[in-house]
Amino acid sequence: MIKIEKNKFDEFLEILKKEYNVFAPKKEGAQTSFKEIKFAKDIEFNNINTKIPKEIFFPQAEELFMYKDSKIENIEKKKAIAVWGVRPCSAKSFILIDKIFGRAKQKPGDKNFEDPLWKTKYDDSLVFTIGCNTPASTCFCNWVDCGPFDSTGSDVMVYDDGNGFLLEGISKKGIKFLSDIKDFEESNDKDRQNIEVLKNIAETMLSKPIDKDLLKVKIDKSWNHSIWDEMSAKCINCGACTYNCPTCHCFDIQDEGKSNKGKRIRLWDSCMFPDFTNEASGHNPRDLSKDRFRQRFMHKFKYFPENNGDYLCTGCGKCIQVCPVNVDVRDVLNKIIEF
Amino acid sequence: MDNTYIPVQMKVENILIEDPAKTLRTFDLSFINSEDKERFKYMPGQFCEFSILGRGESPFGIASSPTEQDFLRFTVNRTGLVTNEIHYLQKGDEVGIRGPLGNWYPVEKFKGENVVIVGGGFAFTTLRSLLIYLLEHRKDYGEITVIYGARNPDLFIYKDEIAEWEKRDDLNLHLTIDKEVDGWNKMVGFVPTVVKELAPKAEKTWCVVCGPPIMIKYTLPVLVELKFPNDRIYTSLERKMKCGIGKCGRCNIGSKYVCIDGPVFSLEQLNTISEAF
Amino acid sequence: MVKELQEKVKQLFKDKKVDMVIGWRKGSLPLSSSPLFINKIEDVDNLIFDETCQNNLAVYITKDKRRLVKDGKKIGVIVKGCDARSLVLYCVEKQIKRENLVIIGVPCKGVFDKRKVMEQVDNKEVLGFSVNGKEVTIKGQEFEKTLDKFEIASDSCQSCVYPDAPVFDEFITEPRKEKPDIDEFAKVDKFEELSLDDRWKKITDEYSKCVRCYACRNVCPSCYCNVCFVDQNDPQWIGKSPEITDTIIFHLIRNLHVAGRCVECGACARACPEGIDLLLLNKKITKEIKERFGYTAGINIDEKPAMQSYCENEKQDFIMG
Repeated sequence: MIKIEKNKFDEFLEILKKEYNVFAPKKEGAQTSFKEIKFAKDIEFNNINTKIPKEIFFPQAEELFMYKDSKIENIEKKKAIAVWGVRPCSAKSFILIDKIFGRAKQKPGDKNFEDPLWKTKYDDSLVFTIGCNTPASTCFCNWVDCGPFDSTGSDVMVYDDGNGFLLEGISKKGIKFLSDIKDFEESNDKDRQNIEVLKNIAETMLSKPIDKDLLKVKIDKSWNHSIWDEMSAKCINCGACTYNCPTCHCFDIQDEGKSNKGKRIRLWDSCMFPDFTNEASGHNPRDLSKDRFRQRFMHKFKYFPENNGDYLCTGCGKCIQVCPVNVDVRDVLNKIIEF
Repeated sequence: MDNTYIPVQMKVENILIEDPAKTLRTFDLSFINSEDKERFKYMPGQFCEFSILGRGESPFGIASSPTEQDFLRFTVNRTGLVTNEIHYLQKGDEVGIRGPLGNWYPVEKFKGENVVIVGGGFAFTTLRSLLIYLLEHRKDYGEITVIYGARNPDLFIYKDEIAEWEKRDDLNLHLTIDKEVDGWNKMVGFVPTVVKELAPKAEKTWCVVCGPPIMIKYTLPVLVELKFPNDRIYTSLERKMKCGIGKCGRCNIGSKYVCIDGPVFSLEQLNTISEAF
Repeated sequence: MVKELQEKVKQLFKDKKVDMVIGWRKGSLPLSSSPLFINKIEDVDNLIFDETCQNNLAVYITKDKRRLVKDGKKIGVIVKGCDARSLVLYCVEKQIKRENLVIIGVPCKGVFDKRKVMEQVDNKEVLGFSVNGKEVTIKGQEFEKTLDKFEIASDSCQSCVYPDAPVFDEFITEPRKEKPDIDEFAKVDKFEELSLDDRWKKITDEYSKCVRCYACRNVCPSCYCNVCFVDQNDPQWIGKSPEITDTIIFHLIRNLHVAGRCVECGACARACPEGIDLLLLNKKITKEIKERFGYTAGINIDEKPAMQSYCENEKQDFIMG
């Protein structure tokens, strides 16, 4: 573990910038979001309440390819990306999306199903995750197998002890990166003890998690239950939750341009929108607001776990913060358990 | 970089208008590059994303059989943005294809046993693929029965081929239309009713059903009534699709994705999914 | 006041004057409330009304293909002034029959704009608040800050001249007789003073933040088309990407679709996760319509809306800019 004092961060950034395009939280207007960073002074170090970093690897609109006179031009590989300062809930979300986008063959004889746009960005990336000393009241990472200091999806864990950052290599890539950089002090026993203290304090700030076994039993039986009518009544089916969710990854494909020149792009889409499943014939298998509401939670807490072993939720609480009508995922889970 | 979203280039070789209202057209496509042709190995029941640059993509079941080497066939009903554009295609035009996608009818399991094919309207596409495949390997299979229904005689697709199939003595072909019309001397009645009437025997038999959702919904219980086991009844489902490779997230029924876990499902599988019916 | 409201709603259920009532309950976050659907008398005790009750509940009348609206079914809606105007709009536009509505007015003293509060406390976590007249004390983990209530009120409230329901069946306490002494178009006037370039810059700056989540459209009671033009695919009117050219078309067309129909409740601006000033152009159009046609939406059920009537002497020179 190495130590970087906050006033020496510029030096560290310079090293990082050699091999990587560096993204970090930057304050612009009222919002703090992840942007490409050139200078340490542009980084907002203290805000836990940043926008999610999903866009770095999965932009809202992204070219699948360009075409000109029926000739197709493939996308190009860019410089590797390093992300500084994501929270454990975001680092884990990368792993979850990677289970879908990074998935290669399903069964023998299948074509290669890896998503090239995701893989060219994510595979070579270096993720620096900063532990959360003071989780927010909307945080519920401990409900969904994540936590304020969970290192899933991180290459390097960063601990902020007030004076500086302590960096711990997690993945092979992360360990190698740290062993290659010189000129920084090694951490001592006291630093490590401090981290343990921070971790313990953070744990106590979180609410008691739900009973996951019970959730499984109940959600499996909930399909026709009236709780879905009750809970979805207030949902207005906008995409605020899905667009601010680190794990939501559904997309639309659209062509922009004319037949002789243009591009095929993919765009974030949302299961909240009727058009998501509306067929050309006019038939919509998820016609009602309730159908779409149920799909979102079923996908996160039943289908994805069945297919991939994890919840498609890392407990970041962003959806709770942005929902215009106060749909609170914790209430939804509690209702499922209680019916 | 291997980009799975890039379609392979195809040329329109032949176009056939299937119905007098011209809402159904069949397109035979050939590969422009021979390597693409080499790589493209498919089975009956699979589908492709049919791509028109500048307009978009739409999924269609492959209507040709892998035993037909020279072309890839799709029959397209004109309903929306992309299908409209496909209908404007002329012989010689270039289009794109991504595929083959999805799973297929389990023809290996059918070997040595009887097969009943139940189809409705223009959804006969992948059933044609299956039928041609079975006929090409005729000696591997037992009795083959086809029950094919359409709203009226005009709406059967592949009419020329139907006429040839009718002449064969190694195939039981039953055609039915919804309502009586002049000059029609075959069966009359909805597909589920006709299946019930004909009552194909379930013993050592597999059944494949494909058609409009409403037809599938009412035919499956009839087959169960006729004692077909749930794991011997197969159907092909449709959902709105975009990527076709299990990423874009919209074609799921429960935890299964029609594009990668389907489109072919057994009734046994579907019975475990709340969202299926 | 809340007690009175609860008693009134209970009485309405007892008298069988309503089949359901839509109101607010305490939300899961300190500065938020949550829409509440009351179908039986026991649920009435959850009802609240305070500065967090920012949703315009009228939207649920048209939501999900007007699922709640059934012949002979009476729906009570608890309304601030602006929300009541949306219900009036629905009656005018025949989305629901007047006799199927029970409009329950509450005296609105303005609602919080969460974003303004957060800015005032440097985005620190808020754990609670208390209101004392014109002052609001915001409490957090290690701080307490007293703020001017007007400063943290929604833009729509800062320019509101109809805080009480202009049309109602029941009113909790008494509607105020006097209109508030407020220049309702102060912000619009300021905007108008800008040069053409600056106005365009302001609009593009704001709308370029849009991520097309459609929260603004979906919380808006005036936006109830069965299929919104942005969702139409054949033909597809505009691109779906968050590029400024497309987002600006979405917003400007939405502005025009709600011209003469917007009740300036500000729900759009409060719902926007990106903090876009969505009220400004709506308010500008409201001003034009008021000045040119003497019409204000949602005040009078019997008055013909500006966009549905024609007078020969109407000015023809209205072009934005």
